[in-house]
Amino acid sequence: MTMVVPIGPQHPALKEPEYFRFEVKGEEIVDVDIYFGYAHRGIEETLARRNYKHNIYLSERICGICNICHSTCYCQAVERVAGIEPPERAKYIRSLILELERIHSHMLWLAVAAHEIGFDTLFMLAMRDREHVMDMREIISGGRVHSATNTIGGVRRDVTPEQIPKLMEKLDKLEESVKYYINLFQTDRTIKSRCANVGVLTKEDAIKLCAVGPVARASGVKTDIRVEDPYAAYPNLSFEVITEDDGDVLAKGMVRLREMLESIKMSRQILRELPSGPLRVPVDLKIPPNEAVQRVEAPRGELLYYIRSNGTEMPERVRVRTPTYASAPSLKPMFVGGTVAEIPIVLWSLDVCFACNDRVTLVDAKTGKVSVVTMEELRRWRK
Amino acid sequence: MNTILDILSFLFNSIVFPGLLFVSVVGMLYVGIDRKVTGHLQHRIGPPIWQEFLDFGKLMTKEDITPSAAIGPVFTAAPLFALGSLAAVMLLLPVASAQPALRLTADLIVIIYLLNIPAICMILGGYSSGSSFAIAGAGRYIVQLLGYEFVFILSIAAIAVKVGTLNLTDIVSYQAKNGWLLLDWKLLPAIVATLIAAQGKLLRTPFDIPEAETEIVAGPLTEYSGPKLAIWRISYNAETIAVAALLVSLFLGGPTAYTIGNVRIPAVVDFLIKTFLIVMLTTVVRNIVARVRIDQALKFYWTFGILLAAISLILVMVVPQW
Repeated sequence: MTMVVPIGPQHPALKEPEYFRFEVKGEEIVDVDIYFGYAHRGIEETLARRNYKHNIYLSERICGICNICHSTCYCQAVERVAGIEPPERAKYIRSLILELERIHSHMLWLAVAAHEIGFDTLFMLAMRDREHVMDMREIISGGRVHSATNTIGGVRRDVTPEQIPKLMEKLDKLEESVKYYINLFQTDRTIKSRCANVGVLTKEDAIKLCAVGPVARASGVKTDIRVEDPYAAYPNLSFEVITEDDGDVLAKGMVRLREMLESIKMSRQILRELPSGPLRVPVDLKIPPNEAVQRVEAPRGELLYYIRSNGTEMPERVRVRTPTYASAPSLKPMFVGGTVAEIPIVLWSLDVCFACNDRVTLVDAKTGKVSVVTMEELRRWRK
Repeated sequence: MNTILDILSFLFNSIVFPGLLFVSVVGMLYVGIDRKVTGHLQHRIGPPIWQEFLDFGKLMTKEDITPSAAIGPVFTAAPLFALGSLAAVMLLLPVASAQPALRLTADLIVIIYLLNIPAICMILGGYSSGSSFAIAGAGRYIVQLLGYEFVFILSIAAIAVKVGTLNLTDIVSYQAKNGWLLLDWKLLPAIVATLIAAQGKLLRTPFDIPEAETEIVAGPLTEYSGPKLAIWRISYNAETIAVAALLVSLFLGGPTAYTIGNVRIPAVVDFLIKTFLIVMLTTVVRNIVARVRIDQALKFYWTFGILLAAISLILVMVVPQW
C-alpha cells in the first residue's frame, strides 16, 4: 500500500513554492510527480515588451542568486545579435563578477545543505564566510546582491588599482575557509552518513536526462560551458573542470566546494592580468532582424538565452532556459528508492532555483486536467 | 494537625518546589541559556536568556486552536499529562538535599516510567492531531523511543547493580561515602551510553529526528499552537531539567551542600550547577553534529549504545569489588 506525502507548495524544506507529490511505502519513496509553475512571473513576455536597455534590469531580476549570469548572458546575446564585440577589459571584469557569483552561490548551497541535514552550526558559519564574497561584490559594484555592472557592449563599473589589494586579501580569507569546509565534508561522520550513497544519479542517467552543471559533473560527465562554448575572458583563463564519479549528494557537494577553489584561483588570475582599455563600446539599439543563442555556465549549470530582433528597439522574442529547468528531470531517479528523510537534501543537492524556472501551467480545478500555456496563446490574449 | 501539614507540604512540593514552578522556571532559564550558547557557538548573538519566558507569555495570549481533524480530548490532554508527569518526577528526584520530597522503596523504576510519559504523550498528541507530518513524526518518535530507552534502562541497571539498590536516595548516599560513580572505570561506558540516550530523550541533534523541521515541519507538534504549545514548551524545558537531575543523582553525586570558609552553600546550588553542566554538554553536542536518519539512529543505539551499556553491566557483575 502506498501513501501520498505532499511536499509543497508550502513546506519548510522548500525555499520557494513548488509541489512534489511523493508516493511512499513506509519510509521508502516509490514514485514522485513534480509540478512546477507556482512562481511564474511572466518575465519572458515582459522582456519582449521593453527595449534592450530596460531588459538588462529585468533579466537581472529573473534570479536573485545568479543575477549576473542572467544579465551577462542577456547582454552577450544582444551583442551577438547586434554584431558588436565588447572590449577586453570588460570581458575580464565580467568573468570576475561571474566567478564571485559562483563562489557566493555555492557558499549559499553549502549553508542551506547543512541546514537540510540538521547541521545548523555549519549553516551559520557558511553564511558568515559568504560575507567575504558579498563584501567583494560590494567593493566592485556597490551592490551586495544585484551588481548592475553589465551593460550592452561592455560593463558600467571599473575595478580600480586601489581595490585589487583589498580583493586579494578577501580571496585569501575565502580560500582558507573553503579549504576548511572541504576537509569537514571529507571527514565529518554525520555529514557522510547523511550524504554518501544518497540521491545517486548515475552517469548514464545524467546523460540521458540531460543534467547540466555541477549535477552532471558530480556524475562524471565532463561538461562546462566555460570550456565548450567559451565566452567573456574564459579562453584566456586557466582552470580545471571539476568532476566526481559517485553521483551522490556528497559528490555534488564536493564538486561545488572544489569549484569554489577554482573560482578563487581564476579571480586571482583575472585581478593580476586585468588588461587596460575602454570599458564599453557604443551600441545602436535599433538592431536589424537577426537571432542568436547565447550560453553561460551559471553556478547551477547551463543558462541559455535566445533573442530574436526585429529592427526596433525591442526584441521580438526572448527565451530563457534556466539550469534548474534542465536538471529537473534528473530528480526522479535521485528520489526513487530513497527515503522520506532524504527528500530535502536530495532536492537541494540539485541547488534548485524555482523562481527563475517557472512557466505557466493551467490546472482545471474540476477535472484536474493540466495544460501548459504556449507562447502563441499568450500572444493571442495580449491582443 | 500533622495530616494538614503533610497535605500542605505535599501541595507545596508539587506546585512550588521542587515541582511545577521550580522546574518550569529553571527549565526555561536553562533552555534560554542553551539557546544563547547555541547562538554564540554559531557565531551569532542569539536571543536573550529569558527568551523562553517571553515565548511562553506570547504563546499563552494566542488563540487556542484544536484542528477539526484532531481527536480533541487526547489532543488537549497530551501536553497537560506530559507536564504533570514531569512535576511528579521532580518529587522523586533529590533536589534540595539527598532526600527527595517523596520517598519510595524502588523509586528508580517509577522515575523511568514517569520520564517516558512525556514522550508517549507527544506520540499520542501527534497521532491525534490529524496531520500527516505529525503522524510521521510520531511514528519516528516511537522508533526512537525503542532505540534510546533500552540503552537508558540498561545503563541505569548497571549502576543499580553496582550500588545494589533500586533506590535513588541510596545511590546518592553511596556516592557520598565512596565518591562519584563517574570516577568508577567500570561504569564509564554505561555513563557515556546514558548521555547518548539522554541526547535522544531530549530530542537534541543528532537525534532530533522526530521533529526534523526540514523534513516533517515540527513533527508531532505541527498542529499545536497557542497555550497548548506553551505547555509543550514548558514540559520540554522541564524534561531537560528532570533528565539532567536524574543523571546528576546517578553519577555526579547528587546535590551536596558545601562549606567554603564560613559560608554554607546549600545543596540546591550544587544541584543547579551540576544540571547546568549536563545541559551544556548536550548543547555543545547538538551544535557540532548533523542530524542522522531514523534507521541510522536506531542502528547506532542498538549496536554502539547497547554495547557500551552491556560492557559496564558485565564488568560490574563479573569483576570483583575492590
